[in-house]
Amino acid sequence: MSCSPYMPMPAKLEHVVRETANIKTFFVRPQKPLAFKAGQFIELTVPGIGEAPFTPSSSPALSDRIEITIMRAGRLTEKLHALEPGAELAIRGPSGQPYPLEKYRGREVLIVGGGVGLAPLRALLFALFEEADKYKKIFVRYGAKSPSDLVYRKAVEDGWGRKDMDVAITVDKRDDSWSGNEGVVTTILAPDKLKCNPQEGVAVVCGPPIMMKFATLELLHLGYAPENIYLSMEKNMSCGIGKCGHCRLGPYYACKDGPVFSFDRIKHLQKIWD
Amino acid sequence: MHKLEKTRLDDFLARITEGREVYALEQTGTQYHLVRSAAWQAGKHTLGAFRPVEPLKALVFRPREWLGTLGDTAPDAVIPERIVIGAKNCDIAALKIHDYVFLNTAPADPLYKEAREKTIIVSCDCTDARPVCFCPAVKEQPYPKAGFDINLAPTELGYVVEAGSERGEKLLKKVGDLLVAADEGILKARDQSRQKISRKVCGQTERMGLSCGADLRQAVEKSQGKKIWDDFAEDCVECGACNLICCTCHCFLLADGKGKNDANVRIKQWDACLYRNFATVAGGANPRRHRAERLHNRFDKKFSFFPGVLGSYACDGCGRCVEACTGKIDIREVLKRAVNEL
Repeated sequence: MSCSPYMPMPAKLEHVVRETANIKTFFVRPQKPLAFKAGQFIELTVPGIGEAPFTPSSSPALSDRIEITIMRAGRLTEKLHALEPGAELAIRGPSGQPYPLEKYRGREVLIVGGGVGLAPLRALLFALFEEADKYKKIFVRYGAKSPSDLVYRKAVEDGWGRKDMDVAITVDKRDDSWSGNEGVVTTILAPDKLKCNPQEGVAVVCGPPIMMKFATLELLHLGYAPENIYLSMEKNMSCGIGKCGHCRLGPYYACKDGPVFSFDRIKHLQKIWD
Repeated sequence: MHKLEKTRLDDFLARITEGREVYALEQTGTQYHLVRSAAWQAGKHTLGAFRPVEPLKALVFRPREWLGTLGDTAPDAVIPERIVIGAKNCDIAALKIHDYVFLNTAPADPLYKEAREKTIIVSCDCTDARPVCFCPAVKEQPYPKAGFDINLAPTELGYVVEAGSERGEKLLKKVGDLLVAADEGILKARDQSRQKISRKVCGQTERMGLSCGADLRQAVEKSQGKKIWDDFAEDCVECGACNLICCTCHCFLLADGKGKNDANVRIKQWDACLYRNFATVAGGANPRRHRAERLHNRFDKKFSFFPGVLGSYACDGCGRCVEACTGKIDIREVLKRAVNEL
């Protein structure tokens, strides 16, 4: 095995779950266990085609089989979505900074997801569940375009089977199957629908840039401090280890200094939502 | 500090390059080119009066590097022991940037590390300048202060030979019979030559209207979103020549494909932030959709990002981008306007 940090280790695609029409969860078994922390990402290779960064959506407690929930959005994910169980893949990582759980302990944690953006937050949720008694309360606010675009729908709807969670779901546009809230995710962040203490809590947001922008504005409005709002910044990445230059975000590399940033670190930078 | 007689230069270089692949300068018209050779060739090779067309980075951060076959156990291709003769300060100073990226930011890049370790650098003071040289404007000077194994400073009294590293010193011991201790006279001559060339480069830079010592970081940081970038971007054709020929630009792309016997292979190749899709993500969103944004980004990386993380500009004033630019965009003109609009 080459010791180059640019080269991945072999991995096998074991299982695929269709979440929505264009989102699937891929169960990947690396040749050797690959330990990661919630919020860190990996680079997944389709051999001969290329690689791209993804944040695992499975529990960080499990390193021998990693779940990655991926939307079909470009050249590589198109190929990934066409693969069947048994396919050869390759994987390297983890890269980036994990969610700073030490800063979340003893506080309320609000998780705000948009669309496939719930995937990395699912890994965070599993990490929180591992030590649930350390957190005051966990809130989940999740929105998607339509009922058929919700990922992990069953699990979200029954709050991952936990009694201690406060979960609300919304869809931008309802259909006949939906009796729940209709509206963008900020509609379920309103004070009458979210009984939390913004001054002492942390909020973690992941979703499309436009959703993150408006969710952040709403969270600030609710009283969350900029340093307590954590955002996943999606950038073009190649090497994933702070060398290739693609993912630069002002004074940072998203791959090395992120991909999760507290809002106070990036709020002065221009065009962060593009 | 040693002195080498002018007449013994070729003998000196032939002996210190022995047993290594040689990269030396060769003159073509008014330019020098960095060429590879099995040995030092007197008459054909020269120390050069200023930097060559090709940036030194290409020896240690090669334009295209073979990373290997996925899942393969074969070791990486071995880089031969080599020696560069006649490197100039702009190119040596640029290696600080590459060292920061590829060595000092963990994990280290094994190919870069190997290339760096196997490349001995024999530098030489500039004795003349390209019309586009402007190193004093970016806190550099036309002779090296560090970063070399051996430096040669030409004077009318011979060469001042200085070791800048342990391996440079070792190499000089091999040719000790050609060297004598540098006397006060030749050191004085060296200082005078250095002052003379520094004055020349600073003079031509300031005649362009760019002062040597202006705060380029502040100028570039304050210029974001202003018309300056739209104006200069009018002439940019996004060819990426400025990036590729730049002595400090380090961006690259990992690319996968099929090799021999249908093997799945990966390469690492130079990339350019002026290319339209450098920062485009899957799905098509691009944080720098406009050419003006990409042009500003190049300057922002050089004059804001690197001063922030490393304390120095990622520009050493070699002026290669001025000569390479298809749209005739002159980095000195851009910086001058940014400074003037502060």
